Amino acid sequence: MNKIESPEESRKLLDKIVFDLTRSIVKKDELTRFWFFFLIIFAGVGLWGWIIQFHHGLGVTGMRDYVSWGLYIANFVFFVAVSLVGLLISSVLQLLKISWAKPVSRAAEQIAIAAVALAGIIIVMDMGRPDRLLNVFLHGRFASPIVWDLTVVSTYLAISVLLFYIPLIPDLAIMRDRMGSELPKWKMQLYTVLALGWKGNDRQYKTVYHALRILMILIIPVGLSIHTVTSWLFAATLRPGWDSTIFGPYFVVGAFVAGTAAVIILMYVYRIRYGLHEYFEDLHFDKMGRLLVLMSLVYLYFNINEFMVPVYKMKQAEGVHLSELFSGGYAFLFWFVQIVGLVLPILLIRLKFFRKPLPLTLIAVVVLLSAWFKRYLIVIPTLEHPFLPVQNVPEHFHHYEPTSIEVMIMLFSFFASILIISVLAKLFPVITIWEYAEEKGIDKKYFTEKPKN
Amino acid sequence: MNRKWSYIPVVLLMSCAHLVLGQDWVIPEAESAVSNPSPYTLDNVKAGKDLYTVNCKSCHGDPGKNNPLGLIPIPVDVASDKMHLNSEGALFYKITNGKGIMPPFEGSISEDDRWKLVNFIQNFKPGGEVLLVDAPAVKAKLLASVNEQNSTVEILAETEGENSAFTSLVNAPVIISSKKAFGNIEIGRTTTNENGRAEYVIPADAIGDEEGYLNIVVSLNDDYEAKEVYLEKARVGKMKEVPKLIKSEVLWSTNDNVSLWLLLSYIMFAGGAWAVIGYVIYQVIKIRKYSKL
Ligand code: HEC
Repeated sequence: MNKIESPEESRKLLDKIVFDLTRSIVKKDELTRFWFFFLIIFAGVGLWGWIIQFHHGLGVTGMRDYVSWGLYIANFVFFVAVSLVGLLISSVLQLLKISWAKPVSRAAEQIAIAAVALAGIIIVMDMGRPDRLLNVFLHGRFASPIVWDLTVVSTYLAISVLLFYIPLIPDLAIMRDRMGSELPKWKMQLYTVLALGWKGNDRQYKTVYHALRILMILIIPVGLSIHTVTSWLFAATLRPGWDSTIFGPYFVVGAFVAGTAAVIILMYVYRIRYGLHEYFEDLHFDKMGRLLVLMSLVYLYFNINEFMVPVYKMKQAEGVHLSELFSGGYAFLFWFVQIVGLVLPILLIRLKFFRKPLPLTLIAVVVLLSAWFKRYLIVIPTLEHPFLPVQNVPEHFHHYEPTSIEVMIMLFSFFASILIISVLAKLFPVITIWEYAEEKGIDKKYFTEKPKN
Repeated sequence: MNRKWSYIPVVLLMSCAHLVLGQDWVIPEAESAVSNPSPYTLDNVKAGKDLYTVNCKSCHGDPGKNNPLGLIPIPVDVASDKMHLNSEGALFYKITNGKGIMPPFEGSISEDDRWKLVNFIQNFKPGGEVLLVDAPAVKAKLLASVNEQNSTVEILAETEGENSAFTSLVNAPVIISSKKAFGNIEIGRTTTNENGRAEYVIPADAIGDEEGYLNIVVSLNDDYEAKEVYLEKARVGKMKEVPKLIKSEVLWSTNDNVSLWLLLSYIMFAGGAWAVIGYVIYQVIKIRKYSKL
């Protein structure tokens, strides 16, 4: 990074950066309105499904005595997984001082907040009596992984929000000082309040760096434990397919794969929609592509380990489960997830062409989709094969098929999470302005200058 | 209480055995010739009746009523001619050893009692001397109270005589039982004296509920038609020991049994994380304060 000495040049460049990066906030067109309308309608329809379920109870779902975790829990695990990318990109890569990861960090944080918030909501939607939610806190058992999960999910949400907010403070001040007429009054008021009267003095910057550093370190154990504990919900049982000691790291790496794919998609959307080609450069896609390959390779290794060892032994109950996955009713899904969602991306992204924005994004969509199906494969087939044979129950207890209500509620979670991301993008810059400007060599003192016009 | 049903598995099993072993009774000559050492008296017949009610009635039915359980072969009515083709010794032998579905009672009824059963059967011998006449049930009235101080149940039994005056019921058997979740369980018996009164001391080892309360039922036997008396929550029993199902610290357990290391790890981790979050929030407040510099 070389410093720009001339004040004029600095100011000109800063103006351009601020203009570009606030375009998402200022931009107001039919498409934006339609997009919000679309999201709210669909999320609303999903919410309606939940109201139906609330009235009639969990009987409206396909879950019965044996398969008592269905789409919701699979979806929950998926969202927890996706949220973990916040840890990877806005903490690990930053602490390693990997400079290309800086502009990507806020997009990752948006995804983390939206995903972990929805993960919490999905759990409530999986409850037959959500009105008794408080009992989990009042009478929760400290020996139960479910209580641990609740704890880490809320802790992670708090840290993610702080990690989103603290680097935002100087940006809020920039917007408070430089914008006005083009934004509605309430937005300006919001910025003023949230900017905490930022002046940009040394002590303030020092405090920001200090707080950020602490958060980045704190989020590592909390982030790892959020997904490790989620994996323990399964691994702490004796059931075939879940009774595994590598479930913690296996879930964490799988989460990085899914989250990286989600960030790539979001980067691409911002790049196209807000014309940020100069900010989310080809370089960023190239690097993210490499990151995805790295994570996928580790994940492939874990997959081989996770399936190879039990397949070699073929213990009785485990054998039933494995043959169901490998050649039984779930074979198509299983091999799709492993080959199309894992092996193929690894092979393709190694070629330079597939690390270009569009091809990489398309691959990321497939990876994200199969990541979702992977969670389905983790949760449901195991439940269909308990140790004691399923007998003397109605035929539809034997298998699980999600009902339309469950699909509705699942769609709600998708649309609601996209809605959260959209609202965040509409309120705050999608790339941290001051960090980016500083990276480009602009001195901090220009940030708090009022533009003279 | 329905003893009839409790025999069904046995019966089913034995019917199979019978198909294989379906043969006639074989009684050694000597056994058949043994005479009954138990004198033929009213007391012995009565004792035999009680034994019969408990052990045999469920299959053989009421004497003379021809209402046995529908088995193959049919359990013979004790008042039938066929039954009385047997000598007393033969009856004893058959009760002792059984055959097919008819269980052997050698192990479960004492020799003396088995002879009393024979006495009872003799009561229905065609042309024989009838000692025990099946009288219609006597209408009676029971009053009872419990004295918790000395764990005694005090009973007064009366019967409605002519011109509806109540007279004391003398020498009537009183059954004291305890009401449990699935029926009454007999604790003991006593007999009324010449004033129609009786006392029964609840044994010290009678088990009540968790607090030692016993629900006592006082009734008369089948010879009487009387409403039983229900004495609720008498504090005369031993406290029932409820075993603690979860004794040790196990992972999937109640909060009281949570392992200490687990609880400490949880508190340390969650508390630590939130303490740091609190510290960061304090930094945010400081940023605000530094705006005034
Ligand atoms: C499980 C049902 C059952 C019970 C309980 C039972 N019996 Fe029998 N009893 C039978 C059957 C069935 C036969 C006919 C057996 C045969 O002929 O193979 C029989 C036969 C007899 C016979 C022989 C009748 C004959 O034809 O000579 C005598 C005597 C007898 N039972 C007495 C008793 C007495 C006394 C008791 C109670 C202590 C008793 N039984 C309990 C089922 C039962």
